[in-house]
Amino acid sequence: MPKIIIDDRDIEVAPGTKVIEAAEQLGIMIPRFCYHPALGSVGACRVCAVKFLQGPFKGVQMSCMVDAQDDMVVSTTDEEAVAFRKSVIEWLMLHHPHDCPVCDAGGHCLLQDMTVSGGHGIRRYPGKKRTYHDQYLGPLIQHEMNRCIHCYRCSRFYQEFNGYRDLGAMQSANQTYFGRFEEGILESPFSGNLIDICPTGVYTDKPSRYFGRRWDYERSPSLCINCSLGCHTIASSRYRKVVRQEARLNEAINGHFICDRGRYGFSYNSLKQRPRTALFDGQTASIDEGLAVLKQRLQAIVDTDGSAAIACAGSSRNSLETLAMIKRVSQARSWQPPAYLIDDAITAKVKTAISVLDPDLAVEMREIESADFVAVLGADPLNEAPMLALALRQAQRKGATIAVFDPRPVCLPCEFTHLPADPDAIHTGFGAVINTALDAAVVDKLDAPAREFYSSLAAGEQTFTFQQTEIDTLAEKLKTCQRPVMVCGTEIVSRQTPALAADCAALLQAAGKAAGLFYVMPGTNAFAAGLLTDENVSVETLITAIEQGSVKALILVECNPLWQFPDRQRIEQALQKLELLAVTDYVNSEVVPKANIFLPTTTLYESGGIYINQEGRVQVVEPAYRGGIPIAETGNGDHPPRIYDSQIPGVEPQAAWQILAQLIDIGQQINANDLRTDIQHWLIKSESGFNQLPGLAQIPPLGTRFFQAPNSQKHFECQQPNGGSTDDGRLEVLVTERTFGTEELSAYSACLQELANAPCICMHSSDAQQLNLNDGDQVALELNGGVIEARLQVVENMAPAMLIIPRDGKLNWQQMETGQTRIRRDQIRKVE
Amino acid sequence: MKDAIEAVKALAIGFATTFKHLFRKPITEEYPEYKRPLPARSRARIILTRDPDGAERCVACYLCSAVCPVSCISMQSAEKEGGRRYAQWFRINFARCIYCGFCEEACPTSAIQLTPQFENCKNDILSFVYEKKDLLVDHQGKDKEYNFYKYAGVATDVGQKGEHIKEERPVNIKSNLP
Repeated sequence: MPKIIIDDRDIEVAPGTKVIEAAEQLGIMIPRFCYHPALGSVGACRVCAVKFLQGPFKGVQMSCMVDAQDDMVVSTTDEEAVAFRKSVIEWLMLHHPHDCPVCDAGGHCLLQDMTVSGGHGIRRYPGKKRTYHDQYLGPLIQHEMNRCIHCYRCSRFYQEFNGYRDLGAMQSANQTYFGRFEEGILESPFSGNLIDICPTGVYTDKPSRYFGRRWDYERSPSLCINCSLGCHTIASSRYRKVVRQEARLNEAINGHFICDRGRYGFSYNSLKQRPRTALFDGQTASIDEGLAVLKQRLQAIVDTDGSAAIACAGSSRNSLETLAMIKRVSQARSWQPPAYLIDDAITAKVKTAISVLDPDLAVEMREIESADFVAVLGADPLNEAPMLALALRQAQRKGATIAVFDPRPVCLPCEFTHLPADPDAIHTGFGAVINTALDAAVVDKLDAPAREFYSSLAAGEQTFTFQQTEIDTLAEKLKTCQRPVMVCGTEIVSRQTPALAADCAALLQAAGKAAGLFYVMPGTNAFAAGLLTDENVSVETLITAIEQGSVKALILVECNPLWQFPDRQRIEQALQKLELLAVTDYVNSEVVPKANIFLPTTTLYESGGIYINQEGRVQVVEPAYRGGIPIAETGNGDHPPRIYDSQIPGVEPQAAWQILAQLIDIGQQINANDLRTDIQHWLIKSESGFNQLPGLAQIPPLGTRFFQAPNSQKHFECQQPNGGSTDDGRLEVLVTERTFGTEELSAYSACLQELANAPCICMHSSDAQQLNLNDGDQVALELNGGVIEARLQVVENMAPAMLIIPRDGKLNWQQMETGQTRIRRDQIRKVE
Repeated sequence: MKDAIEAVKALAIGFATTFKHLFRKPITEEYPEYKRPLPARSRARIILTRDPDGAERCVACYLCSAVCPVSCISMQSAEKEGGRRYAQWFRINFARCIYCGFCEEACPTSAIQLTPQFENCKNDILSFVYEKKDLLVDHQGKDKEYNFYKYAGVATDVGQKGEHIKEERPVNIKSNLP
């Protein structure tokens, strides 16, 4: 461990630590432009110069390029180094335009800080300034190349870290340009990070352009709720509106970056059409009046049909408080057990995943980056949980083999082996890999259940379409790897796959490898929802109960089943059949106009909440601002109204759990914080899944993980999927997620809508050929509920005999009959 | 007796002086009948000026509101057609303003300026809140010349890339010639 003295203070650092990092550990911030902890050093900007007084180097050197070594004595304040840095800044400023007042980076610009702290003020160079034309880079990023100081952070991030090639350096020397060859929307769904890493204002946030300065924003640590990963963000709000979101460093989950869905998925919070007043039968009312009417009508139903005629449904975007309160109210009032997830299969898969995720196996997302073999089973990282794709890329850059067993045309920003197996063949395909990878000698040492599981892997029928050579190559890689990770989806896979992933991980662990397990779940709080939900209860079962007439009243708490449920006709008829439909939500979803009683709730940014991500990490979010109608709206584009008032307009909405608490007559007496604690006590006391839940105050800022499977008792019980598909010439329909446009909350963001391509249906080329269809054809899919019309995309890299339909809000896809997953080929026709 | 004469004499001199001054021209200036011209740089009522071309100078950079020690300035920035950044609304609460002049000092475009006009007395406190329409004037104030967008380097209707003062023509990125 090298010991180094910086500015008369000594520190011992890990071998390979750069001097700039060692100084940072001492709290000394050496100026930097090109160095970034996630991107490493290149020594391009020359601004981190320090003076080496003693040791192997002497004189002024770049602190980002020198490893800390024993006997080094470094001075950051030496006159020579200070003068060097000052002249570097002056030459970086030679061509920098005089536009700080109209630049959105002004106020949080590294170049501005360094210029001021370096003491450079007046330009001495009499020559003209170099200029560049800017490019249109899409709806998220504003390009202003004149401001560039050529640190190469953007092209290093974009090409090396992020794995996309459409933005980079062009030209040479003094004319180097960073941009695209031709202007257009950036291809990467992580492009928003360019804004965070650019040390000056070349890339600035377009949706929040000119909205305010960093010093005016109320900045608050927050969380992304647009997928199950739970990446950390910083929410900036101003004038009662969340205007911007940035990545917040989290060493366990997202590192320094976030995806664009998370960065821009917050618009729902401040939309003009966001409902902020209670409604009953089309009349506006106060929340108290709305609640009174709701209680009265619920009582009427209890009187006539009994309390079991009432059901309540939540969703995976509820906070833990809301999820818990739904259950507490349902139990206290003896309503139907509450539903949280969309159908039975999802409920079962999520519950299995939770029950087998044990602490020995579970890995954090950042640990995937150091894996040397990643098997992705039935998950489409870029579309379902985008940041996972970036983690896979980092693993691959370090030499890992990535194998994806998924029927969809999976795309990743790195090299990977794709085995397009249909959901049932994932089992046999990956089973075959493991089976081939383990030596007989290793297998003999395993204990009985593991050995039995191992032999069952070979038993599966080899129905998959991929080559034996691919299996062998992967098996060879798996054999030599040390840290394999199983990444498993829970959406399109068969019911047995989550358990299979866990068992395979456990088997590899038993075979002496440091195996890891990582699930992707449907929705932010799906982990908590899975813990709270009863077996065989889902929105689907509630609909069946409504159809049978046993449920007469439904309360939807921040839940829009119309978005996710595949049979719109059926659900709409069921909702019409209800005597009472009550909805509480913070977005103007499609069910809001159908509700008899509507009560507005607050968002994550206004009331915070607890969220548990897919690895069981409990994370607490504090409110970002107080709420209320944005000033831009009250002022109607002009100045705010000139009235005195002691109340903020539009702060009536309450958190869903506060509203629910009033249904069991708690909540009026105690304040919000006490109620939160009260809910937590109830959870710990009455829900067996939560007795490990730490107290609110004990949850650290990074979150803390808690597990349901503290021992490995539950392993090696997974079963073979039943039968698999029979080849009857029909096409299996898979409804899947896409990066933009299918996640409900982010679909409200106008900039992301612009980014989402027109939804298209995917089909394998062999099927297309058989049906005489071509790529780009407009096709109509005649289903029981109606016709889905979309453009056809013909691809090679997916499983044949399948049809991939995105769950896109713009595509009227909800025409399927429940349980119907296969369609005849003559149901597809070309539209001229 | 001598003392009495001294006292009368003193009184007489005093009254005489006073009496004499009754017929002199007064040197006190009567306000508000007479208003003394103040130096151009005295600090009172704030205005938003225009550049020599007649366009609004304020680019709503938020520097004045940031530097204001009493937080009496608020605004919202937006973009005009043609690419200029401007204040969608701009508000100064003169009931709170202490006329320190920091805003003028901070302003990078010479838009916000203090004027010698110090007389603002009102009955209604709300009428001290000035909106943009009350602040914007149609002259250049003390700075007759400066036009920020001619120097800034950003493409607006004032000038495209390379057309501003002291700028090279934009780099052709598709050519490798120096």
